[in-house]
Amino acid sequence: MSRQRMRLKFVKGDLIAIGFVVVLTILTAVVFQLNMGSAGGTAVFVYQEGKLVKELPLNQDTTFTLEGDYHNEIQIRHGEVGIVKSDCPGADCVHSGWIHDPGRSIVCLPNRVELRIGGEAEVDFVVK
Amino acid sequence: MRGTKQLIYCAILISLALVLSYIERFIPLQMVVGLPGVKLGLANIVTLMALYFLGVKSAFTILVLRCFLGSFFGGGLSSLAFSLMGGVCALLVMTLMRKVKLFSVYGVSVLGAAAHNIGQIAVAMVFMKSVYVAGYLPYLLVVSIFTGLATGSVCAGVFRILAVSGQIPEEEAVPASGKK
Repeated sequence: MSRQRMRLKFVKGDLIAIGFVVVLTILTAVVFQLNMGSAGGTAVFVYQEGKLVKELPLNQDTTFTLEGDYHNEIQIRHGEVGIVKSDCPGADCVHSGWIHDPGRSIVCLPNRVELRIGGEAEVDFVVK
Repeated sequence: MRGTKQLIYCAILISLALVLSYIERFIPLQMVVGLPGVKLGLANIVTLMALYFLGVKSAFTILVLRCFLGSFFGGGLSSLAFSLMGGVCALLVMTLMRKVKLFSVYGVSVLGAAAHNIGQIAVAMVFMKSVYVAGYLPYLLVVSIFTGLATGSVCAGVFRILAVSGQIPEEEAVPASGKK
């Protein structure tokens, strides 16, 4: 079993592997980023399990808590939105910081919550 | 490799993987990159080692057991789906890519890391019921090049030490068509 050669030195072929991932990056960037709304970032759309649960203007400061498997405290201030407090494991969403550019999003996977900045509702892309 | 020895290696590698993924939580890579789910992928070192050292079957067993135990110790069901899917994708790709003579451990590791992220995003898309999550993929793929190289170099180092200390036959570590 597994009596194969072990190639331990970095070889030129590895550059092909890296190049492949770079190409993949560019491809996915083109495919998925183009879909993101480019209209002015005027509102934040809050999705939970793929459903739009809230739509809030970015110019009105507010704080609210979103219940689910976990609790996300979401805050809008100075035209930006962020998750300021969360009891989900890891709290990656809190570490994601603040967003205001259209198309940007913050995701809390454990709570299945996604905050996305957009101008108009872009529900066409939500998978059922 | 004989039964008992194999079992012991598996047990050691599972515990190593669990410790590595625990330690990983204290390395806040998200602070630098600012994306959810960005990790060093330290546990992937173990998958790669198991694949080279013990073969695909054992690597798969180790992977599945460490995912289950990992979610048991903290993380929950959602993290189980993510780590399992990502891990299986990575193992599959690394198994295939290892057969490609073109790549060294580094190339195999980078492609495995990329596959890991693709698998995880696939789960995330189902989980969140949103295709928008895929917007993260390009960022994660770029990060995976660096994390893949890092884990690859760790593996190369470990294998070299194992070969020098005689733990694994030299001909497996140095270029030679060692067949047994």
